[in-house]
Amino acid sequence: MNEEQELKIKKLKQENEKCKELQSAKSDMISISAHQIRTSLSAIKWIMKMFIDGDLGKLTTEQENLIKKAYEDNDIAINVVTELLEASKIENAEEKKYSFSEVNLIELIEDSIFDFSGEALSRKIEMIFLKPETKFPTIKADKQKFRVILQNLLENSIKYSNLNGKVFISIKEKNGLIEISVKDSGIGISEEGKKNIFEKFYRDTTAEKKECVGSGIGLFTVKKIVEGHGGKIWFESTEGEGTTFFFTVPVYKGSK
Amino acid sequence: MLKTILIIEDDTFLQRLETTKLKKEGYNILTAVNSVEAFKMIELNKTVDLILLDLLLPEVDGFAILEKIRKIDTTKNTPVIVFSNLSEEKDVSRAKKLGASEFMVKSNFTLDEISQKIKTLIG
Repeated sequence: MNEEQELKIKKLKQENEKCKELQSAKSDMISISAHQIRTSLSAIKWIMKMFIDGDLGKLTTEQENLIKKAYEDNDIAINVVTELLEASKIENAEEKKYSFSEVNLIELIEDSIFDFSGEALSRKIEMIFLKPETKFPTIKADKQKFRVILQNLLENSIKYSNLNGKVFISIKEKNGLIEISVKDSGIGISEEGKKNIFEKFYRDTTAEKKECVGSGIGLFTVKKIVEGHGGKIWFESTEGEGTTFFFTVPVYKGSK
Repeated sequence: MLKTILIIEDDTFLQRLETTKLKKEGYNILTAVNSVEAFKMIELNKTVDLILLDLLLPEVDGFAILEKIRKIDTTKNTPVIVFSNLSEEKDVSRAKKLGASEFMVKSNFTLDEISQKIKTLIG
């Protein structure tokens, strides 16, 4: 390699580092901005609820109806902020290269369930992990990206479930592959949706009927990440009854 | 005997709402807006039954406070609900590793729901 080429490579590396720093700064800015907005929305949510519950004195019927509407609209704003945050996270996950290491899948699933325990509680949804009783093999995965798969599927199962529903998470090993499933008893996917559910920006009519806010890029990215790990993803669904997503990942050959 | 909750929250308006609600639910409430006040409260009140902890606090953040809480004899086993509008996976993970009992995103819950959660932890 000559001096000019070496200089070009050095410059490219510097530009690459700069891009990474900018990306990181952008992520931090989005996170902090979301935090600020959510703080204000939290205060509004709590006060509205106190009015609705009669904690701040009796309301007229008209006042109560107006405040209930404001409370619902505020919740929509909160969901939009959450979706923007998620879309930003997913965008970052798509762009980075994979960094594989041996991963304990049981722990990763338990951590992801913990992450969503609050949200599930708020919707009175029970998350049940059917954990294997015997020792389970590890996988080779990009832990950050793999977490995006689990978070996306868990979040969807909670979001599209009806109140007091159950979400079952299970894993099994078969023929050198680990199969993970996330099952809900929620709104299901329409026949039209089944053909397009993994398309970027696609949102099923069932989701829109339930007035769930969503960016539509989650499952597109989940599929890419699953395939990036050498796995497959598919689902079974009945509209009005629920959906089960399945995906596979190869067992780590060095697993004991 | 009343159970005691320490609320560590620098937003005084949110702190006031949380205090109002939890007092109504029959808890004794202590409050702090930063780490100095928080540890003063812990030193003066040997029995704190639960801590509600914000993360973005002035000078010393909630993570550092949580780490120290887990090293003090009187609070090392006290349930701590991290109560924040941060929700990044790295924040939740870090809080869990430092010993948080729960991580709740403020904007996702009403005060009733937070109170119910507290009841399941300390009665």
